[in-house]
Amino acid sequence: MHDRMVEVNGLRKTYPGGVEAVRGLDFEIAAGEVFGLLGPNGAGKTTTVGMLSTTIAPSAGSARIAGFDVARQAIEARSVSSVVFQNAVVDRNLSGRANLMLHARLWAVAPREASTRIAELVDALGLGALVDRNAGSYSGGERRRLEIARALISRPRVLFLDEPTVGLDPRIRHELLDLLADVRGREETTILLTTHYLEEAQRLCDRVAIIHRGQIVALEAPDTLLADLGREVLELRVGGEASLARAALGAHGVPIETAFAVGSTLTVPLQDTSAGDVMAALDQAGVTASAISSRRPTLDDVYLRLTGDRLDAAA
Amino acid sequence: MSTTTLTPPADLARPSAPSAGRIPSAARALATLAGRRAALTSRTPRQIAVPLLGPLLLALIAAPALKQATGGLRSHIDYAAFIDIGTIGLLVPLSCIFAGLSVIIDREQGAQRELLSAPVPRAYLVLGNLAVALGLAALQVVVLLALAALRGAHFTITASGLAWFVAATLLFSVFIYGVAETLASRVHKQEDYIAAIPAVAILPFFFAGALFPIGAMPAALATIAKFMPLTHALALMRYAFVDPRGTGLHAIWGMSNVTVEAWLSLAVVAVFALALTAISVRVFSRSAVG
Repeated sequence: MHDRMVEVNGLRKTYPGGVEAVRGLDFEIAAGEVFGLLGPNGAGKTTTVGMLSTTIAPSAGSARIAGFDVARQAIEARSVSSVVFQNAVVDRNLSGRANLMLHARLWAVAPREASTRIAELVDALGLGALVDRNAGSYSGGERRRLEIARALISRPRVLFLDEPTVGLDPRIRHELLDLLADVRGREETTILLTTHYLEEAQRLCDRVAIIHRGQIVALEAPDTLLADLGREVLELRVGGEASLARAALGAHGVPIETAFAVGSTLTVPLQDTSAGDVMAALDQAGVTASAISSRRPTLDDVYLRLTGDRLDAAA
Repeated sequence: MSTTTLTPPADLARPSAPSAGRIPSAARALATLAGRRAALTSRTPRQIAVPLLGPLLLALIAAPALKQATGGLRSHIDYAAFIDIGTIGLLVPLSCIFAGLSVIIDREQGAQRELLSAPVPRAYLVLGNLAVALGLAALQVVVLLALAALRGAHFTITASGLAWFVAATLLFSVFIYGVAETLASRVHKQEDYIAAIPAVAILPFFFAGALFPIGAMPAALATIAKFMPLTHALALMRYAFVDPRGTGLHAIWGMSNVTVEAWLSLAVVAVFALALTAISVRVFSRSAVG
């Protein structure tokens, strides 16, 4: 077993016209790890998955899947991986079962094993009542379940999930997250998950790379990323520019290294200070604040502090 | 913007030689891809019927009418049968161009990306489609000739003639499917692809001696026709079934040995077929992977 299932070195993609979608990524994913690429639309996540699944040619750098170079050993790299694409990628005029069988044959799964595996996955993913219907008649959530089942038939060593819950309604999304958590428990598969949903990354991933404009700006376990912001943050809306209020806090002795301001919203991690100290300092500086709340920090705060953008606003 | 040093987990260790997953044999992969295309084609009957309709009307209604109106070719060749064979020059391009449309549909709505992520060479995706396009074109040609024969067309079919006919039809179909696949890879929208059908599938039909011998055209056009693979393919098909003296082949090559002329024309069609297949594979592979 290859311990480094995904190795990415200096990976870049520049599209015709000069758009730099990915600007030098470096990361590694260990066997069995669930690794998240977290960032808004346009951050370069799908392009990265495209390069790793050999459906997009890198402009520079290299990547290996289970030890196979995606450029020079593309077929071998594809043989050990499967992809659930962001958009629906099924043959709509074929039944769900025919879509599953097609994958099994192309990944050289023996016929008897394929039948057993399909039965097992149809059962596990609740596709029993659907699998013999045309895939074109499936709802978004049903189609996504079919695509996940299809990707697992060949027992891939690496599974790429590109925004697997995008476009699904909240109930289906939560069901799918439960299902992915279950898959994680049952399958010996390394997973690379891209998402712009924070709770997905927090819930499913061992480590998360925050990607912003084609570059990784942070890479840690979700808890470690959150730990930088302490156990609680104070969020308040101030009159005028929040960056001025932040500077005023600093001038009045409040530690502001990890505080960040976006528009009129100021977020202050309460690591080395208290909410009372912050409010007192604002009062002394003559800054009026409203909509004051304290809460646990989220990965959105991490992203916001690192990039100055909100994930959901950018998404 | 702050950055974080990227440190992999400490338990990562450099492995020895990697082991690949299972990779299907070429035969199995091609059979699977062709089976998929055949299944999808069988669910769209219009792809089978529509290309056949126009050529069928031409062969069954226009051919005997033209023979009666013009008095025929005034040679050993039956003009209605001459046109019946010429109609294949419309049928095969229409059939293959319609088949190429499915490549665009695959890209827009189907499972093309899934196929691109499969552990098979990308050329197989083109070859799997080609196999089904050839089968469909063959079926349509057989239907056309059978109905023409029922109408009263007289074809002289010998073993060697059948071999020439199959070789010419097969290679011409490979060539024209290569054109279709290349076009489908280069064109982004179905509308643009459909707009190209007259130029690709219908225009050559009028210049390649489908309805009349190329010698009946002005000399300049007749010279252009000699460079078109359809002209060679039709001359071979007629040599096989309706023109054992090889009148059409003589009009192209002007040689005394008709067998040599037939081999030369077959070589021309084969070169076009091989070239367009290679080009279509290359264009597909490059355009499918961004």
